[in-house]
Amino acid sequence: MHQQIVRRAGAERETLWVLLAAGLILATAGTAVGLRPAPETDAPLALHQIDSRTGLTAAEQGLHADLKVAADEIAALRKADGRAPAPADLAAQALPPFAADASATARGGHAWTLTESGGSLAYAGLSAAPETAGSLVLLLDGHGPGIWLKRAAEAPPARLDEASLAAAGWKRITSTFTAGVTR
Amino acid sequence: MSFFLNRRRFLAATLAAGVLPASARAAAPTAAPTADRKRFGVTLHPYYSYVANIAGDRAEVVPIIPAGFNPHAYEPRPEDIQRIGGLDAIVLNGIGHDDFAGRMIAASSRPTLPAVEANADVPLLPAAGSAARASGKVVNPHSFLSITGSVLQVATIARELGKLDPANADAYTANARAYSRRLRQLRADALARLASAGDTRLRVATIHGAYDYLLREFGLEVSAVVEPAHGIEPSPAQLAETIATMRKLDVQVIFSELNFPSAYVETIRRETGIRLYAFSHISHGDYAADLFEREMSRNMDTLVQAMLEARP
Repeated sequence: MHQQIVRRAGAERETLWVLLAAGLILATAGTAVGLRPAPETDAPLALHQIDSRTGLTAAEQGLHADLKVAADEIAALRKADGRAPAPADLAAQALPPFAADASATARGGHAWTLTESGGSLAYAGLSAAPETAGSLVLLLDGHGPGIWLKRAAEAPPARLDEASLAAAGWKRITSTFTAGVTR
Repeated sequence: MSFFLNRRRFLAATLAAGVLPASARAAAPTAAPTADRKRFGVTLHPYYSYVANIAGDRAEVVPIIPAGFNPHAYEPRPEDIQRIGGLDAIVLNGIGHDDFAGRMIAASSRPTLPAVEANADVPLLPAAGSAARASGKVVNPHSFLSITGSVLQVATIARELGKLDPANADAYTANARAYSRRLRQLRADALARLASAGDTRLRVATIHGAYDYLLREFGLEVSAVVEPAHGIEPSPAQLAETIATMRKLDVQVIFSELNFPSAYVETIRRETGIRLYAFSHISHGDYAADLFEREMSRNMDTLVQAMLEARP
C-alpha cells in the first residue's frame, strides 16, 4: 500500500527562511556598523574654553568677531606708530567694538581699558549688562590674539596672562573651522 | 519606432554637448597664464569684489559661474569647468555656499588647483532652520553678508594669495587694509545715523536665514526664520506655525530678500501686519569690484531705516 505524507497547506517554511534571511542581513549590517564607528574628530573643550558657535549669546558672537578684526588692526597700528593704540584712539577711528555707537550700547555697553605689561597688551571691556554680553579681554601676547569672556561685570585680575585669567574663572573663546561639511 | 529615433537623437545631442567643449579645450589651450599676472578664480559675487579690490591690476579675477546664475541652484556646466583649467588659484566660500566648486575642480584639467578657504578665520554661526543638522556642525554660509565677516575674509584671502604670488604680497596686504577700512566706514556711517535713536533693540524675523552675521553687528538677534531651506517655500502648515510664532514673539520687523518675490511673504505681511523690508543677497547682476560696497551700503540703509521706523 502506497503511503505519502502531504505537508499541510501553509507558508511556515517560507516564512522561516525569509525571517532567517532577514535576521542574517540585520546581523551583518549591525556588525558592519558596529565595527566602523565614525571617528570622533572634535577634541573636547578644556574647562577654561568656550565655543563661539554654541556657547555665546548673539551679542557676544558679534563682539568676538569684531575683536578678531580689531586685533589685526591694533597689530598694524602698533607696528606703524611704535606704540599700542589706546581704546580712545580706536574709538576715534570708529573701530568696533571700541567705538561708542548704537551697537556698543545694544551689545552690553562695555567700558574699555588698556593694560600693558612687558611685551603683551590687554584690552579689557567691563560689561554694563552681563546678561546681554559678559565682560571681555583681548589679550595680545606673543602667541597671537586671545579673547576671554566672563559673564559678570567684573574687572579681570591684575596679572593678565592665560593662567591668571583661567584661575579667575575667565574662559577663552575658541572657534573651529571645518571646510565643506556640506560638500 | 519614432520614439526610439527621437531618443537616439537626444542621446547624440547630449553626448555632443558633453564632448565638444572637451575637444575645444584640447584645441585652444587655456592652461598657460599670460606672463606672470596670476589668474584667481571666484565662485560668488562678493568674492569677486573682495579679490578684485585686493589684487587691483596685479592679477586677473575670473568668475567661474557666469553672471545670472543663482548660486543656490547652480549645476556645473562643461564650459564653466573648462575655465578652471586656466586658473592659478581659486577663492572659496567653502562652508556651504559654493559646494559645487569642489566637484568642478576635481573634474577640471587642474584637480590640484590651490584653493583659498576664505572663511578659515571667521567665527562661524550655526545654520538656521532645517539646515541645522549634523549636531551643529553645519554652519551658516552667509558670512559674506556682513562687514566684520568680510573684513576677516579679505585679510585671509590677501594673506593666502600673497603666499601664492610672493612678488605682489605686500601690495595685496596694503590693498586689503585700504579696502577693509572702506568697508568698516560703511558700518560706522550707518551706526552714526542711529546715534540719536536711543534704544534700537528690535525683535526680528527673516525669510531667508542669511542675515544673522549682519544683524549681529548691530546687536540684533533673529527670532524666527521662515524658509525651511533657501528657495523652499514653507508648506501651509509651516506658514501657519511661523505666523503664530511671530505673533507670540511680538516680532516688529521682517527682513525678506530682494529679487526673490514670493506670494507667501505677502501673506505673512497681511496676516501679521508686521513691517517688511528687503535685503540684497548680493548674488545678482554683473560681477564688479564695487558691487559689494554698493549692495552692502544699500543693506545698511535698509537696516537703519527699519530700526528708525520701528522706534516706539
